[in-house]
Amino acid sequence: MKLLVPILLNCAFVTAFYLLDKKTGFKKLKFSSKQILIGVVFGGLSAFASGYGVEILGTVANVRDAAPLCAGLIFGGPAGIVSGIIGGLYRFFSVYWGAGEYTRIACTISTILAGFIAATLRRFMFDNKRPTWSYGVFITVVCEVLHMLMIFFTNMNDSSYAFEFVKAASLPLIIGNSVAVGISLLVVSFVNYSKRNRSKNQERISQTFQRRLLVLIVVACVITSTFTYFLQSGMAEIETKEVFTSAMTDVITDVRGKSDEKLLTITENIRSEYENDNSVSLDDLAEKYNVTEINIVNSDGLIADSTDETLINTFNMNSTEQSKEFMVLTGEMSEFVQMYSPQGFDGVTMRKYAGVSLSNGGFVQVGYDADHFHDTLDDFVIDVTKNRHVGSTGFVAVCDEKLNLVTHTERNGKHISTIGITPDEVMLQGKTASQLYKTNVINEETDFSEEYIYVFTFVEGYCIIAAMPFAEAMLMRDASLYTSIFMLILIFAALFVFIYFLIKKVIINNLQKINGALSEITGGNLNVEVDVRSNAEFSSLSDDINSTVATLKRYIGEAAARIDKELEYAKQIQLSALPSSFPDTEKYEIFAQMIAAKEVGGDFYDFYTLDDNTILFLAADVSGKGIPAAMFMMTAKTIIKDLAERGLPVDEIFTLANEKLCENNESGMFVTAWIGKVDLITGKLSFANAGHNPPVIAHADGGCELLKSRAGFVLAGMDGIKYRANEITLNYGDRIFLYTDGVTEATDKNENLYGEERLQSYMENNRNLKAEALLSGLKEDIDRFVGDAPQFDDITMLLFDYKNKEGAAMKEKIFPAEKDALTDVVAFTEECLDSFDCPMKSSMAICVAVEEIFVNIASYAYGEKTGNASLSFGFDENERLMTLVIKDEGVPFNPLEKDEPDISLSAAEREIGGLGIFITKKTMDTVSYKYENGENILTMTKKI
Amino acid sequence: MNISIEKDNGSTIMKISGRLDTTTAPELEKAINDEGETLKNLVLDFEGVNYISSAGLRVLLTAQKKMNIQGNMELINVCEEVMDIFEMTGFADVLEIK
Repeated sequence: MKLLVPILLNCAFVTAFYLLDKKTGFKKLKFSSKQILIGVVFGGLSAFASGYGVEILGTVANVRDAAPLCAGLIFGGPAGIVSGIIGGLYRFFSVYWGAGEYTRIACTISTILAGFIAATLRRFMFDNKRPTWSYGVFITVVCEVLHMLMIFFTNMNDSSYAFEFVKAASLPLIIGNSVAVGISLLVVSFVNYSKRNRSKNQERISQTFQRRLLVLIVVACVITSTFTYFLQSGMAEIETKEVFTSAMTDVITDVRGKSDEKLLTITENIRSEYENDNSVSLDDLAEKYNVTEINIVNSDGLIADSTDETLINTFNMNSTEQSKEFMVLTGEMSEFVQMYSPQGFDGVTMRKYAGVSLSNGGFVQVGYDADHFHDTLDDFVIDVTKNRHVGSTGFVAVCDEKLNLVTHTERNGKHISTIGITPDEVMLQGKTASQLYKTNVINEETDFSEEYIYVFTFVEGYCIIAAMPFAEAMLMRDASLYTSIFMLILIFAALFVFIYFLIKKVIINNLQKINGALSEITGGNLNVEVDVRSNAEFSSLSDDINSTVATLKRYIGEAAARIDKELEYAKQIQLSALPSSFPDTEKYEIFAQMIAAKEVGGDFYDFYTLDDNTILFLAADVSGKGIPAAMFMMTAKTIIKDLAERGLPVDEIFTLANEKLCENNESGMFVTAWIGKVDLITGKLSFANAGHNPPVIAHADGGCELLKSRAGFVLAGMDGIKYRANEITLNYGDRIFLYTDGVTEATDKNENLYGEERLQSYMENNRNLKAEALLSGLKEDIDRFVGDAPQFDDITMLLFDYKNKEGAAMKEKIFPAEKDALTDVVAFTEECLDSFDCPMKSSMAICVAVEEIFVNIASYAYGEKTGNASLSFGFDENERLMTLVIKDEGVPFNPLEKDEPDISLSAAEREIGGLGIFITKKTMDTVSYKYENGENILTMTKKI
Repeated sequence: MNISIEKDNGSTIMKISGRLDTTTAPELEKAINDEGETLKNLVLDFEGVNYISSAGLRVLLTAQKKMNIQGNMELINVCEEVMDIFEMTGFADVLEIK
């Protein structure tokens, strides 16, 4: 629980710095100073974690290594190294204020190493990117394992304590640090995830490989560790058995040697007494030497004399296996002792025999029961076993045949079960078992019971038990298990890194080289050669790619040549379909240009003159490129021209053209277009836009703007679209520039667009150029901007110039159609005429005309309702021609059709009325009337 | 437009200055009508008139018709521009212009 504080703190700092780096001005700091700052902060965090841990065997298990790992993996190598060194040095010196001395060196080194490992792996394995949490955990586990091994290696002289320490500390250390690093990485990736919705890129080979290799390595490590566990357990059992066996063997050898020695001594004494005096009673001798049985055997093996009379002259030593062994005494050997074993005679009675040769070729055989020799042997046995240890804390206990303890002085004579050993069948039968037993043994002194393992064996009528605490036996196993598994983890981790780099060097780097070359090839550069020759496979792959590309290049070259030719024809035909002679009259000028890109495209322009005073002009762009676009362009152009020449309003032209183009438009092509229709007298421009770029209007009195309007949908895009017309009035000298996106979307090599702003400023700065010069200048400007980049799209430009050489403007004003407004109307008229420098006489004539027409409108046009009347004055200074247009939206009325008054009549006969129109007609050079779009339009001109 | 009226030996001289157009013509009409039946000899001094429209012509015609009955009317000091209008409309023949 106490570890949670530094873990969470670590996590919090990681998140804080991560966000700081991503979101605030912190990221503007220099890389090096940022790294050092983070390094110092995490070094401090590492030092803090040092003191904040779990107490284990006098030293503190903590998550000091987590901070350098986090700094190194998440923020960068230098930060990791700096914080590792700070954390490590803190640990080194913290001994002076109470930290454990025992793991000082190991902890110091491993903390510093953690920083370096994090830095190295981030740099070389993760391409300087933050690894995912699983790698973080993996790396941490490896670092901590290294830490544990360090503790082992720095305390080799005290390995069992070191081991105890490692055993206790390893899990908290590994888990604590892993959790700290894992959580930090998780939180950071979560913060990142919510921030940019994670673009799900496809995994790179190196990542796939890394991941699979990691899984493989982890699985292999687990399998090997499991295997090691069983192996080590088995080995430990064998080792323990060996320990038991050697302890047992010593005891057995000692006990048997002593008992053999004793029995031989007695036998020798009996023999010398018997040879000195053949007539001595064997029974007396047996009683004297306290033995069970004495036999005198002749050289043939027949028992000549015995304490057991039934055997005399009846039992031959050769008759049983056990007794036959003694026949060596008739030949090469003079002494022979047998183990305490069942006697040959009945095969049941346990007895120990010894024999010594007699001078007559026979021998004396003496037999003991256990009771007999134990009395003399017990002390010795106790002596032999008393200070004998099995392992370091085990013991040896000896019981007699009835399983009463001989050793263990306090419980001497008591049954073996009093020390916790319950005899099994095998023990009860007095046989020696080969397996290990386990039981709780009660300590004589402390009365505490502890789990022990033991073995037993029977020798010379004793049951000898060797016992050892289970923990001690397992200590050896666990120690080797831990070291083995730790080593395995390190080896596998090293293997992982090694294999990764190998694969990266041999395959991934080469693949990247080939990929790079291929993407250049697919990018259109067929001159790239793939040259990866580090091994045979890549070499042949490179050759194959090169030859494929070469073949492809040849085919493309051939095809391109053919297509180029055809496209060239198409381009010619297309260009010849566009008008190439441009009108330049006194009233207006049109000039247009289409510069086709390499490939034939679908741009076009057109213009049509309906009558002297009405002209339409158009620019359009068919979607797509190539022959289909060119063909569609021809269709569109024909249809629009047909409709336009019928004199339809612009909105209807587009509406109908759209219907026609939509018929049978299987290919799904479409056209964007802009059409304008100008009344050259009034300057009224009505226009419609079908998804086309808004034209630039350059005003005569300065200023450029885009002629924006609500664009309709593209032509041929969808059935049944109604286009709408917009209207503005042009002043003399205004210019309309139509273009296609080839102009605004001309791109330089840095992918910058020419754009509308550049276009407008060009138009603004070159307003004095003639149309043709203006357009070719614009093309040059675009070329300069584009530089070496190829022209992708057709460039189409059309300029309509509503000419007026001196730049006088059309002046227009709207008045309410009421008599009261007359004063204003007159004032406006005089103002206009003054600006035209109109002579007094003409001025009055014009004023009269204005008054007459206006009063007429005010009186009759709207009946009871109210409405407006507009006056527009135009002036051609060259011609000194004044144009006046008066419009109203009242009832249609053509004043010119009114009968003229008879001016020859006398005053009495004269009618009032009709004079106004009459005067107007008389004083103006031309007067014309038309009714259009709900307007009465009266146009007058007069040279002044 | 300004009208000043002087009476001299049975003649009434109206000095008109300014524009004689739709707005101002009714004033002249009113001034003449105000003189009533007693008016015998009306002299319209056009020295200050530089502009006349059909509304002015209408007043002049009405006045002329009226004076034809009760006396005599003449215009003096008509400027060239106004004269052009009179000629154009045949008023030059109808009106007595000196």
